[in-house]
Amino acid sequence: MNPTQPAPAQPTADTVLADLTGMLRTVLAEYGDDDVLIGMSTTFNRDLELESIDLVTLAGLLEERYGQRVNLAEFLAGMEFDEIIELTVGRLVEYVVWSLKTTQAG
Amino acid sequence: MVDAGGIRLHVQRTRPADGRIPHATIVLVHGLLTDSLASYYFTVAPAFAAAGLDVVMYDLRGHGRSERPPQGYTLDHNIDDLEALLDRLAVTGPVHLVGNSYGGTIAFGFAARHPERTATLTLIESEPATAAWAAKLGRILDRVMTELAHNERDALAWIIAHRGHNTARLAKGAARLARETTLGRDIPASRVLTEAAIRAVRCPVLGVYGGESDLAGLVPLMRALLTDYRPVVLSGYEHSVLVEAPAAVGGHILDLVGAGAGVG
Repeated sequence: MNPTQPAPAQPTADTVLADLTGMLRTVLAEYGDDDVLIGMSTTFNRDLELESIDLVTLAGLLEERYGQRVNLAEFLAGMEFDEIIELTVGRLVEYVVWSLKTTQAG
Repeated sequence: MVDAGGIRLHVQRTRPADGRIPHATIVLVHGLLTDSLASYYFTVAPAFAAAGLDVVMYDLRGHGRSERPPQGYTLDHNIDDLEALLDRLAVTGPVHLVGNSYGGTIAFGFAARHPERTATLTLIESEPATAAWAAKLGRILDRVMTELAHNERDALAWIIAHRGHNTARLAKGAARLARETTLGRDIPASRVLTEAAIRAVRCPVLGVYGGESDLAGLVPLMRALLTDYRPVVLSGYEHSVLVEAPAAVGGHILDLVGAGAGVG
Protein backbone atom coordinates (compact mmCIF):
# COMPACT_ATOMS: atom_id res chain seq x y z
CA MET A 1 0.00 0.00 0.00
CA ASN A 2 1.36 3.36 -0.96
CA PRO A 3 -0.12 6.12 1.23
CA THR A 4 0.87 8.88 -1.20
CA GLN A 5 -1.41 7.51 -3.90
CA PRO A 6 -5.08 8.45 -3.61
CA ALA A 7 -6.97 5.17 -3.58
CA PRO A 8 -10.74 5.53 -3.14
CA ALA A 9 -11.20 1.87 -2.20
CA GLN A 10 -8.83 2.17 0.76
CA PRO A 11 -9.30 5.68 2.07
CA THR A 12 -7.40 6.90 5.09
CA ALA A 13 -8.70 9.18 7.82
CA ASP A 14 -7.00 12.08 6.06
CA THR A 15 -8.67 11.51 2.70
CA VAL A 16 -12.05 10.90 4.32
CA LEU A 17 -11.69 14.09 6.37
CA ALA A 18 -10.91 16.00 3.18
CA ASP A 19 -13.97 14.48 1.43
CA LEU A 20 -16.20 15.16 4.40
CA THR A 21 -14.99 18.74 4.71
CA GLY A 22 -15.97 19.32 1.09
CA MET A 23 -19.43 17.82 1.68
CA LEU A 24 -19.97 19.92 4.80
CA ARG A 25 -18.97 23.06 2.90
CA THR A 26 -21.63 22.17 0.31
CA VAL A 27 -24.27 21.80 3.03
CA LEU A 28 -23.20 24.97 4.88
CA ALA A 29 -23.14 27.00 1.68
CA GLU A 30 -26.96 27.01 1.84
CA TYR A 31 -26.66 29.14 4.96
CA GLY A 32 -23.96 31.38 3.51
CA ASP A 33 -21.37 29.94 5.91
CA ASP A 34 -18.24 29.49 3.83
CA ASP A 35 -15.46 30.19 6.29
CA VAL A 36 -16.15 27.76 9.15
CA LEU A 37 -13.14 25.79 10.38
CA ILE A 38 -13.73 22.05 10.11
CA GLY A 39 -11.49 19.52 11.87
CA MET A 40 -11.72 16.16 13.60
CA SER A 41 -13.00 17.69 16.86
CA THR A 42 -15.66 19.90 15.24
CA THR A 43 -19.17 19.02 16.45
CA PHE A 44 -22.08 18.90 14.04
CA ASN A 45 -24.58 20.38 16.45
CA ARG A 46 -22.74 23.00 18.52
CA ASP A 47 -19.97 24.13 16.14
CA LEU A 48 -21.60 23.76 12.73
CA GLU A 49 -25.21 24.20 13.96
CA LEU A 50 -26.31 21.58 11.47
CA GLU A 51 -29.97 20.61 11.62
CA SER A 52 -31.11 17.04 11.28
CA ILE A 53 -32.40 17.82 7.77
CA ASP A 54 -28.84 18.94 6.86
CA LEU A 55 -27.64 15.53 8.01
CA VAL A 56 -30.12 13.93 5.59
CA THR A 57 -28.43 15.93 2.80
CA LEU A 58 -25.03 14.81 4.12
CA ALA A 59 -26.22 11.18 4.14
CA GLY A 60 -27.04 11.55 0.43
CA LEU A 61 -23.61 13.07 -0.33
CA LEU A 62 -21.86 10.25 1.57
CA GLU A 63 -23.78 7.60 -0.36
CA GLU A 64 -22.99 9.36 -3.65
CA ARG A 65 -19.29 9.31 -2.80
CA TYR A 66 -18.90 5.90 -1.16
CA GLY A 67 -21.98 3.91 -2.15
CA GLN A 68 -24.39 2.12 0.16
CA ARG A 69 -21.52 0.84 2.30
CA VAL A 70 -21.67 4.11 4.21
CA ASN A 71 -25.13 4.49 5.74
CA LEU A 72 -25.38 7.57 7.95
CA ALA A 73 -29.00 6.82 8.90
CA GLU A 74 -28.07 3.39 10.29
CA PHE A 75 -25.01 4.83 12.04
CA LEU A 76 -27.05 7.51 13.82
CA ALA A 77 -30.07 5.29 14.48
CA GLY A 78 -27.81 3.12 16.63
CA MET A 79 -26.93 6.06 18.88
CA GLU A 80 -28.48 7.60 21.94
CA PHE A 81 -29.90 11.07 21.51
CA ASP A 82 -27.10 12.67 23.58
CA GLU A 83 -24.43 10.93 21.51
CA ILE A 84 -25.88 12.44 18.35
CA ILE A 85 -25.83 15.92 19.91
CA GLU A 86 -22.13 15.44 20.78
CA LEU A 87 -21.21 13.82 17.43
CA THR A 88 -17.89 15.04 16.02
CA VAL A 89 -16.52 15.07 12.49
CA GLY A 90 -13.77 12.73 13.73
CA ARG A 91 -16.27 10.12 14.90
CA LEU A 92 -17.95 10.12 11.48
CA VAL A 93 -14.55 9.89 9.75
CA GLU A 94 -13.75 6.80 11.85
CA TYR A 95 -17.10 5.26 10.95
CA VAL A 96 -16.57 5.86 7.21
CA VAL A 97 -13.06 4.41 7.27
CA TRP A 98 -14.31 1.43 9.29
CA SER A 99 -17.29 0.68 7.01
CA LEU A 100 -15.18 0.85 3.87
CA LYS A 101 -12.57 -1.49 5.38
CA THR A 102 -15.21 -3.93 6.66
CA THR A 103 -16.97 -4.18 3.35
CA GLN A 104 -13.63 -4.38 1.53
CA ALA A 105 -12.70 -7.43 3.58
CA GLY A 106 -16.13 -9.00 3.16
CA MET B 1 -37.40 16.21 -5.27
CA VAL B 2 -40.76 15.02 -6.55
CA ASP B 3 -43.34 17.18 -8.26
CA ALA B 4 -46.57 16.41 -6.40
CA GLY B 5 -49.22 18.18 -8.39
CA GLY B 6 -47.53 21.54 -8.82
CA ILE B 7 -45.45 21.58 -5.65
CA ARG B 8 -41.93 20.24 -5.33
CA LEU B 9 -41.58 18.00 -2.28
CA HIS B 10 -38.36 16.56 -0.87
CA VAL B 11 -38.75 12.78 -0.67
CA GLN B 12 -36.51 10.10 0.80
CA ARG B 13 -37.29 6.48 0.11
CA THR B 14 -35.43 3.55 1.62
CA ARG B 15 -35.84 -0.14 0.93
CA PRO B 16 -34.36 -3.33 2.37
CA ALA B 17 -30.58 -3.15 1.82
CA ASP B 18 -30.33 -6.84 0.86
CA GLY B 19 -32.44 -6.37 -2.26
CA ARG B 20 -35.54 -8.16 -0.92
CA ILE B 21 -38.82 -7.06 -2.50
CA PRO B 22 -40.59 -4.99 0.17
CA HIS B 23 -43.83 -6.60 1.42
CA ALA B 24 -45.59 -3.27 2.01
CA THR B 25 -45.13 0.49 1.87
CA ILE B 26 -45.02 2.62 5.00
CA VAL B 27 -45.40 6.39 4.68
CA LEU B 28 -44.07 8.63 7.45
CA VAL B 29 -45.51 12.13 7.91
CA HIS B 30 -43.78 14.68 10.17
CA GLY B 31 -45.09 17.56 12.29
CA LEU B 32 -45.30 21.35 12.17
CA LEU B 33 -42.80 24.23 11.99
CA THR B 34 -39.51 22.84 13.31
CA ASP B 35 -40.07 19.25 12.16
CA SER B 36 -38.91 17.50 9.00
CA LEU B 37 -38.53 14.02 7.57
CA ALA B 38 -35.23 13.80 9.47
CA SER B 39 -37.21 12.91 12.61
CA TYR B 40 -37.90 9.55 10.94
CA TYR B 41 -34.82 9.21 8.75
CA PHE B 42 -32.43 8.92 11.69
CA THR B 43 -34.78 7.11 14.10
CA VAL B 44 -37.24 4.44 12.96
CA ALA B 45 -36.71 4.38 9.16
CA PRO B 46 -33.58 2.13 9.11
CA ALA B 47 -35.36 -0.51 11.23
CA PHE B 48 -38.45 -0.34 9.01
CA ALA B 49 -36.36 -0.90 5.87
CA ALA B 50 -34.50 -3.75 7.59
CA ALA B 51 -37.89 -5.31 8.42
CA GLY B 52 -38.64 -5.55 4.70
CA LEU B 53 -40.68 -2.39 4.20
CA ASP B 54 -40.59 0.21 1.44
CA VAL B 55 -40.22 3.40 3.51
CA VAL B 56 -41.44 6.71 2.08
CA MET B 57 -40.61 9.94 3.93
CA TYR B 58 -41.23 13.47 2.70
CA ASP B 59 -40.98 17.06 3.90
CA LEU B 60 -44.34 18.80 4.13
CA ARG B 61 -44.77 21.93 1.99
CA GLY B 62 -42.90 24.82 3.59
CA HIS B 63 -40.81 22.45 5.72
CA GLY B 64 -37.34 20.91 5.46
CA ARG B 65 -36.11 20.91 1.85
CA SER B 66 -39.54 21.11 0.22
CA GLU B 67 -40.82 24.14 -1.65
CA ARG B 68 -42.27 26.95 0.52
CA PRO B 69 -45.16 28.61 -1.33
CA PRO B 70 -46.51 31.79 0.31
CA GLN B 71 -49.97 30.26 0.75
CA GLY B 72 -51.91 27.01 0.74
CA TYR B 73 -51.38 25.57 4.20
CA THR B 74 -54.75 24.14 5.21
CA LEU B 75 -55.01 20.52 6.27
CA ASP B 76 -56.70 19.72 2.94
CA HIS B 77 -53.65 21.10 1.07
CA ASN B 78 -51.47 18.71 3.07
CA ILE B 79 -53.78 15.76 2.37
CA ASP B 80 -53.87 16.68 -1.34
CA ASP B 81 -50.06 16.75 -1.35
CA LEU B 82 -49.85 13.29 0.22
CA GLU B 83 -52.35 11.94 -2.28
CA ALA B 84 -50.51 13.48 -5.24
CA LEU B 85 -47.17 12.25 -3.91
CA LEU B 86 -48.35 8.63 -3.64
CA ASP B 87 -49.85 8.85 -7.12
CA ARG B 88 -46.59 10.29 -8.47
CA LEU B 89 -44.60 7.50 -6.77
CA ALA B 90 -47.08 4.96 -8.20
CA VAL B 91 -47.89 3.68 -4.71
CA THR B 92 -51.47 2.57 -5.38
CA GLY B 93 -52.05 -0.27 -2.91
CA PRO B 94 -52.99 0.21 0.74
CA VAL B 95 -50.18 1.82 2.74
CA HIS B 96 -49.27 1.88 6.39
CA LEU B 97 -49.50 5.52 7.43
CA VAL B 98 -47.57 6.99 10.35
CA GLY B 99 -47.94 10.57 11.49
CA ASN B 100 -46.17 12.49 14.24
CA SER B 101 -48.13 15.34 15.83
CA TYR B 102 -49.69 17.38 12.96
CA GLY B 103 -48.46 14.65 10.58
CA GLY B 104 -50.89 12.26 12.30
CA THR B 105 -53.73 14.69 11.69
CA ILE B 106 -52.80 14.64 7.98
CA ALA B 107 -52.55 10.84 8.00
CA PHE B 108 -55.95 10.52 9.68
CA GLY B 109 -57.45 12.87 7.10
CA PHE B 110 -55.99 10.76 4.29
CA ALA B 111 -57.39 7.57 5.89
CA ALA B 112 -60.84 9.18 6.19
CA ARG B 113 -60.72 10.25 2.54
CA HIS B 114 -59.22 6.98 1.24
CA PRO B 115 -60.09 3.99 3.43
CA GLU B 116 -59.22 1.67 0.54
CA ARG B 117 -55.68 3.06 0.36
CA THR B 118 -54.98 2.82 4.11
CA ALA B 119 -53.86 -0.50 5.65
CA THR B 120 -53.07 0.80 9.14
CA LEU B 121 -52.71 4.15 10.81
CA THR B 122 -50.28 5.20 13.54
CA LEU B 123 -50.88 8.46 15.37
CA ILE B 124 -47.86 9.53 17.43
CA GLU B 125 -48.79 12.30 19.85
CA SER B 126 -51.55 13.21 17.48
CA GLU B 127 -55.29 13.44 16.93
CA PRO B 128 -57.85 13.74 14.12
CA ALA B 129 -58.94 17.19 12.97
CA THR B 130 -61.86 18.25 15.18
CA ALA B 131 -63.16 21.68 16.16
CA ALA B 132 -61.27 21.36 19.47
CA TRP B 133 -58.07 20.50 17.58
CA ALA B 134 -58.46 23.53 15.28
CA ALA B 135 -59.03 25.82 18.27
CA LYS B 136 -55.95 24.47 20.07
CA LEU B 137 -53.73 24.83 16.99
CA GLY B 138 -55.15 28.33 16.56
CA ARG B 139 -54.03 29.28 20.08
CA ILE B 140 -50.55 27.79 19.62
CA LEU B 141 -50.00 29.42 16.22
CA ASP B 142 -51.45 32.73 17.41
CA ARG B 143 -48.92 32.81 20.18
CA VAL B 144 -46.06 32.04 17.79
CA MET B 145 -47.22 34.72 15.31
CA THR B 146 -47.84 37.41 17.94
CA GLU B 147 -44.52 36.90 19.61
CA LEU B 148 -42.75 36.89 16.25
CA ALA B 149 -44.35 40.20 15.35
CA HIS B 150 -43.45 41.79 18.67
CA ASN B 151 -40.15 40.31 19.60
CA GLU B 152 -38.55 37.84 17.26
CA ARG B 153 -35.69 37.08 19.65
CA ASP B 154 -38.04 36.02 22.47
CA ALA B 155 -40.25 34.13 20.06
CA LEU B 156 -37.29 32.14 18.76
CA ALA B 157 -36.31 31.31 22.34
CA TRP B 158 -39.89 30.15 22.96
CA ILE B 159 -39.90 27.94 19.87
CA ILE B 160 -36.58 26.39 20.89
CA ALA B 161 -37.77 25.77 24.45
CA HIS B 162 -41.07 24.24 23.36
CA ARG B 163 -40.00 22.21 20.39
CA GLY B 164 -37.06 20.34 21.85
CA HIS B 165 -33.36 20.25 21.18
CA ASN B 166 -33.10 22.60 18.28
CA THR B 167 -30.58 25.21 17.28
CA ALA B 168 -31.22 28.84 16.53
CA ARG B 169 -30.97 28.11 12.82
CA LEU B 170 -33.90 25.72 12.91
CA ALA B 171 -35.97 28.17 14.97
CA LYS B 172 -35.23 30.89 12.41
CA GLY B 173 -36.45 28.60 9.63
CA ALA B 174 -39.67 27.99 11.55
CA ALA B 175 -40.04 31.71 12.15
CA ARG B 176 -39.66 32.37 8.42
CA LEU B 177 -42.34 29.81 7.67
CA ALA B 178 -44.69 31.39 10.20
CA ARG B 179 -43.96 34.97 9.08
CA GLU B 180 -43.75 34.63 5.30
CA THR B 181 -46.62 32.22 4.65
CA THR B 182 -50.31 31.94 5.51
CA LEU B 183 -49.70 28.78 7.57
CA GLY B 184 -50.60 30.46 10.87
CA ARG B 185 -54.03 31.47 9.53
CA ASP B 186 -54.65 28.47 7.29
CA ILE B 187 -54.25 25.59 9.72
CA PRO B 188 -56.81 26.76 12.31
CA ALA B 189 -59.21 27.53 9.43
CA SER B 190 -58.95 23.98 8.06
CA ARG B 191 -62.04 21.93 7.35
CA VAL B 192 -62.40 19.45 10.22
CA LEU B 193 -63.90 15.96 10.33
CA THR B 194 -67.39 15.15 11.52
CA GLU B 195 -67.78 12.55 14.21
CA ALA B 196 -69.27 10.20 11.60
CA ALA B 197 -66.18 10.65 9.40
CA ILE B 198 -63.90 9.81 12.33
CA ARG B 199 -65.97 6.74 13.20
CA ALA B 200 -65.79 5.63 9.57
CA VAL B 201 -62.03 5.01 9.88
CA ARG B 202 -62.07 1.28 10.50
CA CYS B 203 -58.49 0.22 9.84
CA PRO B 204 -56.32 -0.68 12.86
CA VAL B 205 -55.22 2.56 14.55
CA LEU B 206 -52.20 2.62 16.86
CA GLY B 207 -52.04 5.63 19.16
CA VAL B 208 -48.62 6.33 20.75
CA TYR B 209 -48.42 8.95 23.49
CA GLY B 210 -45.87 10.29 25.92
CA GLY B 211 -47.10 9.65 29.44
CA GLU B 212 -46.30 13.24 30.42
CA SER B 213 -48.15 14.72 27.43
CA ASP B 214 -51.74 15.95 27.72
CA LEU B 215 -52.53 14.16 24.44
CA ALA B 216 -52.53 10.89 26.40
CA GLY B 217 -55.81 12.19 27.84
CA LEU B 218 -57.43 11.53 24.43
CA VAL B 219 -57.30 7.76 24.85
CA PRO B 220 -60.85 7.29 26.23
CA LEU B 221 -62.39 9.47 23.50
CA MET B 222 -60.50 7.70 20.72
CA ARG B 223 -61.42 4.33 22.18
CA ALA B 224 -65.08 5.34 22.04
CA LEU B 225 -64.85 6.54 18.42
CA LEU B 226 -62.67 3.95 16.69
CA THR B 227 -63.48 0.31 16.04
CA ASP B 228 -59.90 -0.99 16.18
CA TYR B 229 -57.86 1.33 18.40
CA ARG B 230 -54.66 0.29 20.19
CA PRO B 231 -53.30 2.91 22.56
CA VAL B 232 -49.74 2.79 23.91
CA VAL B 233 -48.61 5.27 26.56
CA LEU B 234 -44.85 5.47 27.11
CA SER B 235 -44.27 6.81 30.57
CA GLY B 236 -41.57 9.38 31.21
CA TYR B 237 -41.87 10.96 27.74
CA GLU B 238 -43.54 14.10 26.48
CA HIS B 239 -44.53 15.33 23.02
CA SER B 240 -41.19 14.40 21.40
CA VAL B 241 -41.53 10.70 22.21
CA LEU B 242 -40.70 9.70 18.59
CA VAL B 243 -37.16 11.09 18.65
CA GLU B 244 -36.56 10.33 22.33
CA ALA B 245 -37.79 6.72 22.37
CA PRO B 246 -37.46 5.58 18.74
CA ALA B 247 -36.83 1.91 19.52
CA ALA B 248 -40.04 1.60 21.56
CA VAL B 249 -42.14 3.61 19.10
CA GLY B 250 -40.71 1.76 16.09
CA GLY B 251 -41.29 -1.61 17.76
CA HIS B 252 -44.98 -0.90 18.34
CA ILE B 253 -45.37 0.25 14.74
CA LEU B 254 -43.70 -2.89 13.39
CA ASP B 255 -46.01 -5.02 15.58
CA LEU B 256 -49.00 -3.25 14.07
CA VAL B 257 -47.72 -3.45 10.50
CA GLY B 258 -46.73 -7.11 10.85
CA ALA B 259 -50.19 -7.97 12.11
CA GLY B 260 -51.79 -5.91 9.34
CA ALA B 261 -49.74 -7.68 6.68
CA GLY B 262 -50.43 -11.10 8.12
CA VAL B 263 -46.75 -11.86 8.69
CA GLY B 264 -46.54 -11.06 12.39
